Amino acid sequence: MSNSLSQSLAAPGGMLRRSAIERASIWIGDRGTLIAGIALSVFVLGFSLVGGLLYHASPYAVHGHHALQPPSAAFPFGTDQIGRNELARLISGGYATLIVSIPAAILTFMLGIVYGLAAALGPSWFDKVLMRLLDAILALPTLVVLIFFAALVPLNDFSLVVLLGVTSWPGLARLVRNEAIAQRGRDFVLATRQFGGGTWYVARVHILRVMAPILVVNATFLIGDSVLALSALSFLGLGVQPPHTSWGGLLQTGLNLIALNPWWMILPSGAMIFLAIMAANLLGQGLLARFGAAR
Amino acid sequence: MSAVLTLDNLSVALKRGRGKPVPILDDVNLTVAAGEMTALVGESGSGKTVASLGIIRLLPRGAKIAGRVQLGDTDLTRLNDAEMRRVRGRDIGMVFQNPLSALNPTTRVGNQIAEVYRLHTGESDRAARARALDLLGEVGIPNPADRLDDYPHQFSGGMRQRVMIAMALACSPKLLIADEPTTGLDLLVARQILALLTRLRREHRMGVLFITHDLSIVEEHADQVHVLYAGRSVEWGRARDFFDQPRHPYSQALLGAIPRLGQTRLTSIQGNLPDPETRPPGCRFAPRCAFREAACETAYPAPDTTGGTVFACRRGREITQADTLDAVTESPPPRARTVDGTALKVDRLAVDYERTATSFLRGIVGRKDRLRALEDISFTLKHGECLGIVGQSGSGKSTLGRAVLQMIPYHGGVVFEGESFGAMKHRRRRLARRRIQVVFQDPRESLNPRMRIGDIVAEPLKLSGISGQRKRWTQAAALLDRVGLSERMLPMFPGSLSGGQAQRIAIARALATNPGIIVLDEPTSSLDVSTQALLLNLLKDLACQDGLSYMLISHDIAAVSYMADKVAVLNGGRLVEFGPAGDVLAHPRNDYTKELIAASPHFRPRAAQGGRGGADEMPVYATRTAQHETAQTKEYNP
Amino acid sequence: MLRMITTRLATAILSLVILVSIVFAMTHATPGGPAYSILGQKATPAAVHELNVRLGLAAPLWKQYAIWWWHLLQGRLGYSYLLNRPVTQLVGDYMANTLALYIGAIVLSVVLSIGIGLVQGVTYGRWPAKLIGAFQLSLYALPTFFVGTIFILYFSVTLGILPTGGITDLRIENPGLLVYARHLVLPVLTVGLLGVAGLSRYFGSSVHEELGKDYVRTALAKGLTFRAVLFRHVLRNALRPLVTILGLSFPYIFAGSVLVESVFNYPGLGYLLWRSALSQDYPVISAIVLLIGVMTVLGNLLADLVNGLLDPRERFE
Repeated sequence: MSNSLSQSLAAPGGMLRRSAIERASIWIGDRGTLIAGIALSVFVLGFSLVGGLLYHASPYAVHGHHALQPPSAAFPFGTDQIGRNELARLISGGYATLIVSIPAAILTFMLGIVYGLAAALGPSWFDKVLMRLLDAILALPTLVVLIFFAALVPLNDFSLVVLLGVTSWPGLARLVRNEAIAQRGRDFVLATRQFGGGTWYVARVHILRVMAPILVVNATFLIGDSVLALSALSFLGLGVQPPHTSWGGLLQTGLNLIALNPWWMILPSGAMIFLAIMAANLLGQGLLARFGAAR
Repeated sequence: MSAVLTLDNLSVALKRGRGKPVPILDDVNLTVAAGEMTALVGESGSGKTVASLGIIRLLPRGAKIAGRVQLGDTDLTRLNDAEMRRVRGRDIGMVFQNPLSALNPTTRVGNQIAEVYRLHTGESDRAARARALDLLGEVGIPNPADRLDDYPHQFSGGMRQRVMIAMALACSPKLLIADEPTTGLDLLVARQILALLTRLRREHRMGVLFITHDLSIVEEHADQVHVLYAGRSVEWGRARDFFDQPRHPYSQALLGAIPRLGQTRLTSIQGNLPDPETRPPGCRFAPRCAFREAACETAYPAPDTTGGTVFACRRGREITQADTLDAVTESPPPRARTVDGTALKVDRLAVDYERTATSFLRGIVGRKDRLRALEDISFTLKHGECLGIVGQSGSGKSTLGRAVLQMIPYHGGVVFEGESFGAMKHRRRRLARRRIQVVFQDPRESLNPRMRIGDIVAEPLKLSGISGQRKRWTQAAALLDRVGLSERMLPMFPGSLSGGQAQRIAIARALATNPGIIVLDEPTSSLDVSTQALLLNLLKDLACQDGLSYMLISHDIAAVSYMADKVAVLNGGRLVEFGPAGDVLAHPRNDYTKELIAASPHFRPRAAQGGRGGADEMPVYATRTAQHETAQTKEYNP
Repeated sequence: MLRMITTRLATAILSLVILVSIVFAMTHATPGGPAYSILGQKATPAAVHELNVRLGLAAPLWKQYAIWWWHLLQGRLGYSYLLNRPVTQLVGDYMANTLALYIGAIVLSVVLSIGIGLVQGVTYGRWPAKLIGAFQLSLYALPTFFVGTIFILYFSVTLGILPTGGITDLRIENPGLLVYARHLVLPVLTVGLLGVAGLSRYFGSSVHEELGKDYVRTALAKGLTFRAVLFRHVLRNALRPLVTILGLSFPYIFAGSVLVESVFNYPGLGYLLWRSALSQDYPVISAIVLLIGVMTVLGNLLADLVNGLLDPRERFE
């Protein structure tokens, strides 16, 4: 008997091969998304983190005679109202944006998982308390809470990371909790409990492992959200503070001078925010399809 | 008899992904006569549903149909879309599996029925509503006037299927296609639905094409039987001829695989159904056939007959059902010495379950209402015995299993090998729980999709402190061997397994802790009949070797009778009958047990079957089960 | 039905109580407390103490909490020292503008999303759906404030057909409906597009999911045309999750409108919040945060009730 069963599995064109073909076809279909996401991520990261090493112009030097100039050979992205090099400012603004957004996303990620798992795996009264609290917190838009605290604390890289981190986790926490609850009741978890698997073991070996794809995908989305939130704050003047610059801040400067039609101050900074978020979203979408196919 | 429907070499190919269409169904010839029922039988993957959707041309985009579909005088494959729409619902009524999802959840049933009538007759809303009311009455829904404006979720499963049938009947079609209408329903309810269809087709002289995977359920009702295997017809003819003398080895094995009351050994078919992409060139059953010859594997056999059914088998004339039984039925291994003593004692067990609070104040604080799911259950189970627990859905049988497994809180006592769980300390309790294992209904749900099979099977070993993956996998390989699987599966993931294989993995894992009791919670109800037979035989062998005790939870009293030494019948959370299997099945005392037994497949004397027809068309139990159903409706919709 | 309403109401009330407490905690969690914000970070301890006594902030925390509730229930939200007006009055002035923007944007995004989602759901897997998908993904990644800025750059600066900002014009008493509408066009469009990105994607997959369900096959087997199945059977079922997600996305739409109001200098609550945050006008900020929370909870409640109307299963549960 064992022979016939294993034969049907190993035979050419058996079940194994079909699923391999199915996977491949799905993978090819979504490979475009994933590749675009990776390429765009490399570009955004390279531009912001490595760009400063390749392009040596100072983002702070004032070129008084060249104030508010459109793009030219000397200043590829033009200059701002007091004659600072916009390209250099775009690079340094990218650095400032990512250096806060990415650690903040990691903080959010950890807080969300801890809160969500605590609710899902703790006693049921604890879950009820945490979820009621979460419902109320979720009624407050993250940006509004951010504005509230940003008005009160001194703003620097560290405080911004903490601020973004501790205000953005509720969405992920709810997702983790709901997903973990769904996994918790599945038969394979019940079976493990029957063998004597404890809560911690179940969380580590089963729930987190099954949720891993969702978590990875959401981690990439979180980076996009974090870039957006920081840019929005900076745009409102409540994020990265002068003389440091950021993409959101550059856009705000452009908006303040909008009557003069300074398109070169508006389009590049806005486009960089767009590309950074797009990179994260494409990467997430691509990974989602990839994991979905592998399921 | 005039033919309502004739399929003439119907073939269907479906597009899968980007490739070219894959043939799913090949050259099926079939007729349905007015007032008669033709049963189209096949296991999952045989192409039977594709056939029904091909007839009404509701196949997915990119499907290719060849051959002719003759409805009366019209060839449906030649109609344009608008003409085809006029046939659907007017000339052909459809009844689908799982009526809860097949009915629109947000539309009142009366409107759903009236819609089809209005569409094809152009009658007024008022007339359509009157028609819907008549139809609900005709299909046996009590107080139809009160139920007309109810939503599908307010009906019980059987009543919902009656609503579906009413909808299909609205325009008095010539042909009714019922695609697995009884799957997922309790046996008693399924029998009622069949009886209803039989009555309706006679009264309306309507042809019925009944599509099912379950041969036993159509035995008393079908006029014609047509068996499909892997997209081809293997045997067809008059039902009486088929059940008296099936000729194709597949039909014979399929009939022998159905558990019937009083059976000692089930026929099992080795191997798996081939995928549409990898079907063998010759006879499609050949790779799994015990009688195959070289010629079988190269060319498809021409249909042949000896006067009874028509069969597509080279050796169909010579093979008898007895040959098949000898060839594919393994004899059970000798029974090991049974250990004496009590494995499990359940004493006045009761379980409450919670549901969303009905009162406002309780809702605020998140309190739940309590309802009793099980009441006053007592029984004992000896070492090496199998206890069958039977009941309809909602009877509390799974809850009983979970209570014994210590998965849910309960009142009363559960004593395992002389020690009560209530009296155990934490650590002791954990060790004792490990020795009561479980196999669930859905094999895929019970395996973590992201773990390798080796790790899944070895997980209990890891949790009981055996370190080193290599060492654990060696033991896992031995466990796989016991359930008839190859150790080559160790590094694979569960995603690529068939249902039967996955269920074997779950059994191997349950065996790892050397348990005293295994709770089998509907272990075969998501599997095909032939796979079920393999699995039941395996479980029986394992018990014989080890002196294992089972608690087999099932809605199928025949499957239970095949396995069990003792039978417990649950109804509405109470134990209505308990005793040795032989006694309970031969001399049931409780009315409910009698009904269950009456509805199950039997070995009937051939002579008695000749009287098929009017007499047993509306069996006695029908009225009584209607009461069960109304009770159920109340229970679910307070 | 009645039971469903009462349970939902109970949940909403509980959420509101917790919400008010959270906002109370937020206002008291700041280093130095509100007095510093009012007097500036360089205030002398004596001055801070004096102000604390005057504002009731020297009292024990539970007493402050009780007073906070007491004032809230009377509709007293505090006093803006910077603008020298009671917060309730101030918020009232800006509220109407925000509601106009909010409702306009939601109507726009729901109408667009239903259209886009239907096309996407029906053509799932083929090029129209893929094109829509790419559009949604891009829209999703476009920051509102960038979109708003581009709109001004194009429609106001380059073409000169619509006003750049609203604050000065709308402050005139009775600006007239036409002026008002002209000021609303770009902000509504911007916030509406933000809504479309999420909602249409959600509705599209919801339509696709419903189309795959068995009752669709049943309806087709009755002889209905695809169009009839889509509009008579599928639409209603697909709208249900849209209502839920709409209720849940109120906070995000509001967050978007904060940014959009600041881009367009549009005198709504978001604009007020922004200005107050920049000048650290403490009572105004906390009042707006509270108000937004309350509006969200009520929005979710409304969504639940509408869902109850759409889905009989919810109603009878």
